[in-house]
Amino acid sequence: MTDITRRVALGAAGVGTLAALTAGFPRLSGLDVPGRHGNALRIALFGTQQQAAQQDALIKAFQAENPDIKVVMIPIQASDWGGFFAKVLTMVAAGTPPDVVNVATEGAQLFAAKLAEPLDDYIRRPAERAAMQDYFSDVHPSLIESFMYKGSLYQLPANFNAANIFLSNTALHKAGYDYPPDDWTKDDFVTMLRAIKKTNPGAVPFYWANRMWGGVTPWLYINNTSILRETKSPAGAAADWLWNGFYKGVPAAQGRSGGPLWLEAQATIPSVEETFELLREMVKDGLSSSPASGGGGALVPQFASGRVATTTAGGYWVDGLAQAGVKNDQYDVQFMPKWKSQSHQFGASGWSMMRSSSRKEQAWAWLKFISSRKGMYLSAPKPTTTPCRRSLCAGSVEIDGVTHPFYSAEGPKHWKVFYETLDRFPGTGPFTAPPSEPAIELALDKNTINAVGGSASQMRSALRSLQGDLTRALETRA
Amino acid sequence: MTDITATTPARAVPDNTAPQEDAATILRRKEKRMAAVFLAPTVIGLGLFVVVPIIASVVLAFFRWDVITSPKWAGLDNFHSLFSDPTLRSAFANTIFFVVTTVILQLAVALGLAVLVQGIMPRWLQSTLRSVFFFPIILSAASVSIIMSYLFNQQFGLVNTYLNDLGLGSIPWFTNGFSAQVMIILIYVWQNFGFTFLLFLGGLASIPRDVYEASSIDGATGWRQFRHITLPLLSPTTLVASVMAIISALQIFDQPYVITQGGPGNSTETVVMVIYQDAFGQLQFGTASAIGVLLTIVIMLVTALQFRLSRRFVYYS
Repeated sequence: MTDITRRVALGAAGVGTLAALTAGFPRLSGLDVPGRHGNALRIALFGTQQQAAQQDALIKAFQAENPDIKVVMIPIQASDWGGFFAKVLTMVAAGTPPDVVNVATEGAQLFAAKLAEPLDDYIRRPAERAAMQDYFSDVHPSLIESFMYKGSLYQLPANFNAANIFLSNTALHKAGYDYPPDDWTKDDFVTMLRAIKKTNPGAVPFYWANRMWGGVTPWLYINNTSILRETKSPAGAAADWLWNGFYKGVPAAQGRSGGPLWLEAQATIPSVEETFELLREMVKDGLSSSPASGGGGALVPQFASGRVATTTAGGYWVDGLAQAGVKNDQYDVQFMPKWKSQSHQFGASGWSMMRSSSRKEQAWAWLKFISSRKGMYLSAPKPTTTPCRRSLCAGSVEIDGVTHPFYSAEGPKHWKVFYETLDRFPGTGPFTAPPSEPAIELALDKNTINAVGGSASQMRSALRSLQGDLTRALETRA
Repeated sequence: MTDITATTPARAVPDNTAPQEDAATILRRKEKRMAAVFLAPTVIGLGLFVVVPIIASVVLAFFRWDVITSPKWAGLDNFHSLFSDPTLRSAFANTIFFVVTTVILQLAVALGLAVLVQGIMPRWLQSTLRSVFFFPIILSAASVSIIMSYLFNQQFGLVNTYLNDLGLGSIPWFTNGFSAQVMIILIYVWQNFGFTFLLFLGGLASIPRDVYEASSIDGATGWRQFRHITLPLLSPTTLVASVMAIISALQIFDQPYVITQGGPGNSTETVVMVIYQDAFGQLQFGTASAIGVLLTIVIMLVTALQFRLSRRFVYYS
């Protein structure tokens, strides 16, 4: 056997390293970053590689209509929208920003203030009139207003989720209850929870996650209040071209503004304290879970197994429950109960064109396509969210002459609640999401546990702490 | 530095030794070149990914920068703002509490187990336990934190389910300020004591057996041997272990970030979490850098203090 000398071994190691470096050069130098050096439209999507791959049908349909535009979908994984935006910002810092970004309510004003291109001029082009009229006629004005910032529209909303109450039929029947009426009150709700607790001691009567969407916020909204004082930007030019133009004669569009503004914290006002007190008492009486952090992923099996009787969720949950084996008749959905109002909170998502993009016309083509009936359907062909177009929010959907099942295949009996939340309650709007939303949400999450998990004086102390955190979050961004 | 003139004779005076000395010089040069080649990847890597970011971070501490727009000179404003920030004050207090408790616990648990494993256990069990205790360190801190948050979930967690079955009721592991702090500390120590344990095991193995034998002849046993032989002779290892544990604990982030996000209230918010929130939540990279600089200074001071104290408490022979 030939002896391998140290010199030969080192030489071989050197050659091997060189070969590995050569093979890995595209990765090391970032040459293989999707679309980085090509002429493709780079679209950043909040999701996994698998979720990006699920958009293939959408991309193919887009390219069939726009054969000259190559599209590269860049999936960005994150635990929440705040993490997603942080990663998009690192792309911006690295000098490789995408052209279009999937943006939800959480980041709508941050993007509008710093990164996104206003869409007003594109929408108002005479050539786009018919397509845009078709879109606006099909989309509730509150969704549009939620993506307006200081008088301009920055996104065409694609989907939304309002926080409704999901009910386990088994738990309700066991407690002697049927489906509650539309105009039920928060006292009716609490009475029902007491009955559930009595008849089903092992179950959690009401479960809620500690987060901005679907946490304390829906209860604040039905009590006509919020942790941040909401004002509105003047509609400005949008009053003519949008509210009195595309939405002319639509009662729900009357008096709409140029977008919400949240400039001042008000966590210690009596109505906010009253709302937290309701939740604190529900926790104390064992009617509600002590709020856990995070999303509702862990909740599906609990609701499916009947351990959770009621919870706040939106249309996005329908497919998740179906995947977990929950039958349509095992659960139902109803509006939030009425307190001082029955205004709901929602979160929406859409697509932003980046100010820095050199492919703005191509980006506009994408935005226009994805807001069409076909594009919006293809982006979410199953009830994993509530489409912003009313015509898609139906039992079945007809696209290119083919009827596809939507809520008729998967969905509770009263699935119409999802879109009717907007129609029935004009005060329904986005949750509080100023440009500093990540800090606002963090402050709310951290202080909510203390506010509802102890005595009344601890709650007041937590609200004072929340007020301080919110004030600092708003000051630093201003 | 090599003195060439000292080893190379003048050309005017030929010498039989000259070719041999030239060869030695050439060899030395060659070796230097080879050393440079071998060191280059590390030096370049360290320079690019450690030194440059450190310098950039220090420079950034004097600017206002939100990633999107150009940096603007801020002078010492970022540092001034730190001293009036109640969140940062509370984060520093929490971090100091975490450091003190985790380091003491980590060293105590690791030392106790190392003594137990080295002194009592049979050899096969020793090697098994070495792997078992080291195992948590190779796990991702984020994954461990997610699993722990499921295990100790107040409503549906496995631990509370068993406690309820036993009639003991649910414990608010992460929804009460104090219990959340305790849980974060325990999870952190569980995941990190393995490395300290290995250090102590190595330290124990290096203590000569004859010292113990001599002390046995003098009548010392058990606790007295541990107190007067093991602890002093382990002091160099203890110094290294404590320096590393303190530096690591000062940077605690993953566990509180994933499990409690700093709550309830600010009870588990740490300095590194504030840095992250300022940078990526508030887009205040200047302030975040200033806190980073401050934390680095604190780490350097603590480490210097430890080495200073080590002159009195560490025995190297």
